[in-house]
Amino acid sequence: MNTNMVVSPTVTIKENTRKDHTLVKSILFLLPAWILLLVFFVGPILLTFYFAFTNLALTGTEAKNVQFIGFQNFLSMFEDPDFRISVVKTIVFLLFSAVIGQQILGFILAVLMKEKNKTFRRIIGIIVLAGWVTPEIVVAFCWVAFLSDNGTLNLLLQHIGLKPVTWLYTFPMVSVVVANIWHGTAFSMLVFQAALDDVPKSVEEAAMMDGASRFQVMFRIVLPMVKGSIVTNMVLVTLQTLGVFTLIFSMTGGGPGTSTQTLPIFMYNQAFVNYQLGYGTAISLILLVIGIGASLIYIRSMKVNL
Amino acid sequence: MKKYKRIAAVSLIAGSVLLSAACSNQSASTNGSDKEVIKITYRSGGGSNKGFTDWLNKEIIPQFEKDNPKVDVQLSPLNVSEGDYFAKIALMLKSKNTAPDIVTEDTFMVNSDASAGYLTPLDDKVKDWSDWSNYTENVKKGVMAQDGKIYGVPYNTDSRGLWYNKDLFTKAGLPVPWEPKSWDEILQAARIIKEKLPDVTPFWMNSGKATGEGTSMQTFEMLLYGTKTPLYDTDSKKWIVKSQGLTDTFKFIDTIYKEKLGPNLSQVLNGQAGAVAYQQLMPKGKLAIGLDGIWQTGNWGESGSAPWPEAFKTLGFAPMPTQNGEAPGTITMSGGWALSIPNNSHHKDKAWEFIKFASSKEHTLSLLTKERNLTTRDDVAQEKSYQEIPMFKEATEFLKFAQFRPAVDKYPTVSTQIQSLVEDVVTEKITPEQAAKEYQKNVTKIVGQDNVIEK
Amino acid sequence: MNRYKTEKLIPYIILTVLGIMFLLPLLWVLFASFDPNAQQALKMPSSFTVNNFTSILTDPANLRSFGIGLFISLGQAVLVVVVAVMAAYPLSRYALKFKKPFMYTILFMTALPITAVMVPVYQLFIYINMQDSLIGTILFLTASGLPYAIWMMKNFMDSVPLELEESAWIDGASVWAGLRKVVAPLMIPGICTVAIFTFSGSWGNFFVPYILIQTPDKFPASVTIFQFFGNFGMIEYGKLAAFSLIYTMPSVILYMFSQRFMSQGFSLGGASKG
Repeated sequence: MNTNMVVSPTVTIKENTRKDHTLVKSILFLLPAWILLLVFFVGPILLTFYFAFTNLALTGTEAKNVQFIGFQNFLSMFEDPDFRISVVKTIVFLLFSAVIGQQILGFILAVLMKEKNKTFRRIIGIIVLAGWVTPEIVVAFCWVAFLSDNGTLNLLLQHIGLKPVTWLYTFPMVSVVVANIWHGTAFSMLVFQAALDDVPKSVEEAAMMDGASRFQVMFRIVLPMVKGSIVTNMVLVTLQTLGVFTLIFSMTGGGPGTSTQTLPIFMYNQAFVNYQLGYGTAISLILLVIGIGASLIYIRSMKVNL
Repeated sequence: MKKYKRIAAVSLIAGSVLLSAACSNQSASTNGSDKEVIKITYRSGGGSNKGFTDWLNKEIIPQFEKDNPKVDVQLSPLNVSEGDYFAKIALMLKSKNTAPDIVTEDTFMVNSDASAGYLTPLDDKVKDWSDWSNYTENVKKGVMAQDGKIYGVPYNTDSRGLWYNKDLFTKAGLPVPWEPKSWDEILQAARIIKEKLPDVTPFWMNSGKATGEGTSMQTFEMLLYGTKTPLYDTDSKKWIVKSQGLTDTFKFIDTIYKEKLGPNLSQVLNGQAGAVAYQQLMPKGKLAIGLDGIWQTGNWGESGSAPWPEAFKTLGFAPMPTQNGEAPGTITMSGGWALSIPNNSHHKDKAWEFIKFASSKEHTLSLLTKERNLTTRDDVAQEKSYQEIPMFKEATEFLKFAQFRPAVDKYPTVSTQIQSLVEDVVTEKITPEQAAKEYQKNVTKIVGQDNVIEK
Repeated sequence: MNRYKTEKLIPYIILTVLGIMFLLPLLWVLFASFDPNAQQALKMPSSFTVNNFTSILTDPANLRSFGIGLFISLGQAVLVVVVAVMAAYPLSRYALKFKKPFMYTILFMTALPITAVMVPVYQLFIYINMQDSLIGTILFLTASGLPYAIWMMKNFMDSVPLELEESAWIDGASVWAGLRKVVAPLMIPGICTVAIFTFSGSWGNFFVPYILIQTPDKFPASVTIFQFFGNFGMIEYGKLAAFSLIYTMPSVILYMFSQRFMSQGFSLGGASKG
């Protein structure tokens, strides 16, 4: 991931006899990874496919007599208004906290920090990074304290004469989106910092000498040059945000009602609160599909050379 | 060749780690010494089940281990909310490695856990147990699954009613003792409190998913079973999915929150609502009426989580009226917990010995004095010391008109449905009429079209 | 002159405001943990106490869960690094027929949220008898961290010139020794990045151990702190803050420790070139 990195060298070993050794060696080197991935990753995914078509439950007769029910779970899913709500909530959460929130804020921070006083940069950098280094659950605690009825935000609002708001119950989605932005922005900021540093100063200066304004330099020259980073970052952040569970679960539990019930939370509720493991697995299958879809977009748009 | 040896060695090590991990799980229940280990799993809930924990730790286990020197009894408490407890134990009971030897089951889960094959039938064992005849008949039904077999020994039961603060009532000009005869009278009292005592929360009831079964039983069912229609029609063996009673129940819940007669959402919609209400607000005189169970008295004793010496002078415990006062006039839901033996336990006989020991008359009496729940044994109910436990007289009276949850496989899933809908109504996401419609739709889906009727 | 100065000042002002906004939620944890009467709002403690910390640290269950958490996360990080370096080597150095499909599969795997596979993982663990096992949890966390780690390691490794290895080979070193002595040291930045990323991921992961571990004694810190929040979160604010602070320590320490290497690891533009 260095700036010095170029196309991966396809090394052709000189002697032909080496080729067999190479294959054996490769397999041996890859073996541990393969075993682990096969057993603990591919295995569960295959099991997901299986369970999604059964009526497995955590308790009750269906826990003992698992029956194959075909596409029943999926039909129920598409008829289930809660499922549709979850998909919408997931998209909203993704859009606002990942795509818009973290990217834009990270970019703004990176741009603003460029070529500023070193100590200042370090201080701001540390503060923003603190949000990233903090474990998800502690992030949840901090924001619950901040946004609760007697929390810091309401305290500040009262100081300037406004009425307190029950943020977590009246604006739950906004609350978790903001918390997630706070948690993840550092990553985008670092990515964009590195990307902006890659842009040679000479190019910027040349453009400015030609009379381009700051904005024009930014939009016409810099942005296209860092396009790669933007897209890569977007997909990475999207994928990571898709699976966010602990933060929302600890802050609102998916509620009130279904206001923040994204797909992972919906899946948890169906599997472990309603004891419907089969149905829950079907939902996770949908999550997997979305994940695969997103990575397909990544590959397509990146034309990654392996 | 050396390099291959190295690589092979690494792969071998990785493989043997995997293997040893798998094998190490086999010997879960016997430790180094040759003592037999009995593991008990229950919900500690971070101290909310202190009575039970103390009873085990200070009394039962030391005595049992003295009488049985070859046995080591270990506690394996689950520090989770009530809503999470049942999923957690289902996960534990599924496999031989993690199943404890004794598990506490809320009686409404006994049926579904038994049908899942998690629990051991105890019929042969109770047949030879003389004490079993001392157990109240209708409590025994609570631990019977749909196949008619007994799957646990109930150690407590309970009743529910309206806790009310006599001082606050007097201040607001309400009659003491308070005996509401209908839902309207409850609402009226709450309204007067709100008017006369603005910084007191008038009425508190479990209202969300986080309080799990507590919402279904203490709130929803206490209301619904006071109407003409319960959840389940035992004659036709069908679930009643549409009735005026259902709609009225949702309406009552909606009214409390619409008229701001209830607590703040942030206080009541989390797993600690009970603690906030009965350990903080009530003792401080900030809560006027609470719809909850007899066990809350456990908070206020000397060794409770919120010792409150004046509790029983200040509080009254009124029976919950039926909707419009129709016969029998009052209603309480009754549940309770039981000691069960998981099917995957390796020490079933010793576990049974322990259960018999712990369920003796003196031991259950001691537990109930600490836990402040009601007894499942007729002989204990006759004991003077039992009857003198504060509020027990009233609570036992309520039992005369006790109702029970449907002992049907699908109850737990219907219950979570109830909790969801109650929370939706409380947070004003849906109207009570919509909630009733949702109930009909969802429960029909859960139990099947052939198992529902409308009334 | 003035306009130039103001123009220069604006970014600083905006950054300061943003900085404060970022800092506020965290300040609560800091202040409340030393406050004997902590509330939910940020407030200056009227008296300082370390009682919150001592009550958390003297609870043997908490200490045990911290130990277990470290065991799981460190074990997993080490395992991930070793296996990923090994796996990245042939992917980086050799032209293999199956390389492209393998890399694509790895890429897909990076996309899959762990939460999605928890139910079947639980069932799988029952089948292979690894229920309630710490080793099993470590292995699962390793496997779920591998795709990302392999991807990153390969990229890092690509930037280590082959010539260095070849000169080691000429000097008589085996491939394995070359990897150990030449390539790996040059990849320290990448290794650290991956190690920290996976450590933080599993240290903060509460869902996986919550499902896979049943015996309460074996819960790592992420689960214990969640339980604490569930039981006392609305009541014991000071202790919750103290617990959070202690819990965040390992991540902070690790991050500071490798701060120098992290900044080198973030240029993603390279991944897209070509």
